[in-house]
Amino acid sequence: MPQTSSSRRSGRWRNDTRRTAFGETPWDKPRPTSFTLDSGVSLRLVLLGETPWDKPRPTSFTLDTGVSRVKYDQARWTDDSDDLYEPLLSEKASKTVDIEDSPLPDDLTRDSLSLPDPAEPELARHYTRLSQMNYGVESGPFPLGSCTMKYNPSFTEDVAARADAAIHPDRPDSTVQGTLALCHRLQDYLGRIGGMDAVTLQPPAGAAGEFTGIQIAKAYHDHNDDERSEVVIPDSAHGTNFATAAMAGYEVVELPSGDDGRVDIEALEAAVGDDTAALMLTNPNTLGLFERDIEHIADIVHDAGGLLYYDGANLNALLGRARPGDMGFDVMHYNVHKTFATPHGGGGPGAGPVGVREELAQFLPNPHVRERGGNYEHYEPDHSIGKIHGFYGNWPVLLKTFAYIARLGDEGLRDASAKAVLNANYLAEQIEYEVPFGPFHHEFVASAGEQDAADAAKRMLDYGVHPPTTKWPEIVDEALMTEPTEGETKRSLDQLAAAFNAVAGDSDAELADAPSRPAAKRIDQATAARNPRLSWQALDDT
Amino acid sequence: MSDSDSHATGSPYAPQTAAETAAMLDAVGADDLESLFDVPESVAFDGEFGIDTRSERATRREVARLLGRNADLSEFLGRGHYDHYVPSVVDDLASRSEFLTSYTQYQPEVAQGFLQALFEFQSMLVELTGLDVANCSMYDDATALGEAATLSQRVRSVSGDRILVPEHLREGKRAVLSNYTEGPDLTVEPYPMTDGVVDVPALSDQIGDDTAMVYAESPTVRGVIEERLDAIGDLAHEHEALFCIGSDPIALCLLERPADVGADVVVGDAASLGTGTAYGFGLGMFVTREEYLRQVPGRLVGASEDAADRRAYTLTLQTREQHIRKERATSNICTNQAWVALRTAMHAAWLGPDGLVELAEDCVTRARDLAGRLDDIVGVKAPVHGRHHFREFLARTDQPASAIVADLAAEGFAVHAVDDHLVQVCVTETTADATDEFVAAFREVAK
Amino acid sequence: MSFDVPDDLRYLESHEWVRVAGDTAEIGITAFAQDELGDVVFVELPEEGAELTAGEDFGVVESIKAVSDVYAPVSGTVTAVNDRLRDEPELLNEDPFGDGWMLEVEVADESETADLLSPDAYRDQIE
Repeated sequence: MPQTSSSRRSGRWRNDTRRTAFGETPWDKPRPTSFTLDSGVSLRLVLLGETPWDKPRPTSFTLDTGVSRVKYDQARWTDDSDDLYEPLLSEKASKTVDIEDSPLPDDLTRDSLSLPDPAEPELARHYTRLSQMNYGVESGPFPLGSCTMKYNPSFTEDVAARADAAIHPDRPDSTVQGTLALCHRLQDYLGRIGGMDAVTLQPPAGAAGEFTGIQIAKAYHDHNDDERSEVVIPDSAHGTNFATAAMAGYEVVELPSGDDGRVDIEALEAAVGDDTAALMLTNPNTLGLFERDIEHIADIVHDAGGLLYYDGANLNALLGRARPGDMGFDVMHYNVHKTFATPHGGGGPGAGPVGVREELAQFLPNPHVRERGGNYEHYEPDHSIGKIHGFYGNWPVLLKTFAYIARLGDEGLRDASAKAVLNANYLAEQIEYEVPFGPFHHEFVASAGEQDAADAAKRMLDYGVHPPTTKWPEIVDEALMTEPTEGETKRSLDQLAAAFNAVAGDSDAELADAPSRPAAKRIDQATAARNPRLSWQALDDT
Repeated sequence: MSDSDSHATGSPYAPQTAAETAAMLDAVGADDLESLFDVPESVAFDGEFGIDTRSERATRREVARLLGRNADLSEFLGRGHYDHYVPSVVDDLASRSEFLTSYTQYQPEVAQGFLQALFEFQSMLVELTGLDVANCSMYDDATALGEAATLSQRVRSVSGDRILVPEHLREGKRAVLSNYTEGPDLTVEPYPMTDGVVDVPALSDQIGDDTAMVYAESPTVRGVIEERLDAIGDLAHEHEALFCIGSDPIALCLLERPADVGADVVVGDAASLGTGTAYGFGLGMFVTREEYLRQVPGRLVGASEDAADRRAYTLTLQTREQHIRKERATSNICTNQAWVALRTAMHAAWLGPDGLVELAEDCVTRARDLAGRLDDIVGVKAPVHGRHHFREFLARTDQPASAIVADLAAEGFAVHAVDDHLVQVCVTETTADATDEFVAAFREVAK
Repeated sequence: MSFDVPDDLRYLESHEWVRVAGDTAEIGITAFAQDELGDVVFVELPEEGAELTAGEDFGVVESIKAVSDVYAPVSGTVTAVNDRLRDEPELLNEDPFGDGWMLEVEVADESETADLLSPDAYRDQIE
């Protein structure tokens, strides 16, 4: 960053839409017909019942019916140069302040501070423009498998922004009865939904929930003077499961999947024994398949003295149809930013409440909330594992969770899962890629076949939609792990399928060159990793 | 509109009409929605949760009714969670759905905006600390400290399992650290403090070659600005231990740069910029030296170029992370606090360096002034420690601290009880207007 | 796609190659291995003087999306390390059998080389 007192780039006007997430101007270059998935066109097709897959598929897939459309793009202010899309804040306005005459002795203070110094109008424009180079759930379909990118209801933001929710965590219980009452009710709701007897809200994310759950399992075994050293995890599990077990000091025993994509019972029997502290499992699994032998699996683990841990990442498949507690799970975490529609926020915050069976409630994190004669209080469970978060976790996220669950209720939650499963099944039916494993629920894993799945994903960006999760789980070659969620209409699923199928028909060269339409073209990952530049200060070094 | 065209299904956010649902079921060859579930009868749930469905308005009313039970207090509270004024523009910009509803930036070509914002956030922390590498967030200060401890074990060339922490440490932080250090078999030991700051000779006696990390805070949990950070750093390095400093971004705008006093890692909570009080909702900072880059937990945003040779940003060095390295990952963290970091960067940029330095200086003078006013009250001594303070300080009261807290709550004010006759008071610009009433109330309850 | 499998080398099933000349052996990873990994971005190797044990891992190769341990085809003492890989990990992609070599080792027990795969056997494995 320049150490000058002030630096500003000069601006200029330009008709420019390359800077939106998907905004190549049509007059920059001829727009390939296969890109024309414009809503009006496909809407017409759907209304006529003329879906393209009813007819022999043209070799070059197109939804273009030749309807000419007037495109409108906004004029945009841009002040970039040819070698970047948007200057950094530090490049737009920067200032160095010398620390002088501070109320502290000089030997306790720094000499100077150099940071961006935009005026509020510049700041507003900077972040607005950055937002326009970002794709969210409200931008379009977001079928990212395992991530449950469903619509985040606006009203929950207003709920979380309430002034009476903005309180300090160290207030006496008697002065935060509202917050404690709400937490208590959310504990209760989540317990009912998961079939669990007690729930802690403290873990700030799914992985933190896993860590909580495994620490609870460890405390349980320690309490019984039962030393166990291993956690068993299917090879198709989320990476967090393995990392969590290792973080808690356990050896990881990886369980190979059976040919049907489910837990291989024989392999499980061989893997589980006196050293098994827990088996971590998600159900439905990462292929979207329900582990039909779950009761048998639970028996095997319990007979060996281990606990059964439920990774709640895929709970959106089962709301009101099956509960982890009823399947024999002892501990589980909920991913509220998946199942209960709290926004992902570009990677977080989430929340990962953990539910347990009655006999494990004594190990829950400190503090827990309980009701006493109409009042609510914090208390420390008898054999608590201690704390997982410095305070009480991600409270604003928990508020949004409560609001979502309360809004939907029994009927809405059941319907959300039903429609999530319907949407996944419908979408899978419409796409050309093979889906080797079924019957799946809220998500399916298609194979890009001879194509490179990561390249196929980049090409989907050109068709205006977010791609699925790629190359995982590895049991499917060139995996396209797809989870449309309940939030898509039939029409948007048809458009999404059209994008999949257009990519399926594209050449390897077209895939390798993709994407061409998003704000940035294919980004060189290798250079980023070989020569890490992780700050604007590091940019000046090169 | 016929029923079959209605969107009024069970979930207001599942938009399929009855007609569409029927058409989709037909397309997949299913008779009804239930038949799509491959759940054995024996584990199927046929009960009810017993959760009523509410309208949006009713839900909001219910939350309002519940939270209405929270007392309306002027909070003179801190100890790791602080209230600063957050400008409207931060709420407004951060609420843009392109930011709020986006995912982790695994498709960087459609996530340039968030990536650049996180790159800017990382850069700001680099400037504040003088260290080279900041990740783009941990959950909070406590979990960041836990991660620092496990990092120390991974990077230290000789074996060692002792993590030394100050005697005055927030209990929540100590408890989280204890969980993080249990798996890798590290032990956490407190070292003594004298009159609010580190007792360096005592630390010197306690440290040894089996010490993996020394942790010190400035400001401390009691708001004291540590005066001998460089000596603590020297001690740590003499024993090849990592030196980890806990601080916060506002204090770092004024205090010595951690790099200048030998810090190897800086952790802390950055939510004091951008979020305000939110019942402990945090933003863990994690900043370290470049030599430890490959052992850093969490996500890192790096600069690169795209196929058009323009500067572009991407998550990088992901092989450190759980989705690739699994049980050998540097941490299990996946979901982080990215959106909170976005808010922090926005707030910092809104203040600018002048505003940040001024805010930090106010944190020193406001605490000093309020301590002076409380010290004038009969039965109160403040500050307890004859040191420089940041935002907050201890006061000794003749009355039991628990009585002071309860009596002040009755008057509409909240402070911390730290020990039998010790209370802690924090003041920022958001409580400054209530200071006169607070002092008057304190005078009454201290009698 | 067929990959180069030089005839003067011996191989491990885990895709390392070894070039033995007297009591000295040069070690690297195969063209097939680098293709599977993709763009290599980081290589972690032992220092000179380190002892290798046949069959045990001695280093790590990282690409953008994968991490792979590298195993020792023979036991011995490391006499030279290809320092260029530190700044130019792409050499593993560009020239795996030449400039992308990793270590030179003084072989402890020449009889171990008998257990290694011949070029034909390795070719069969990767086809």
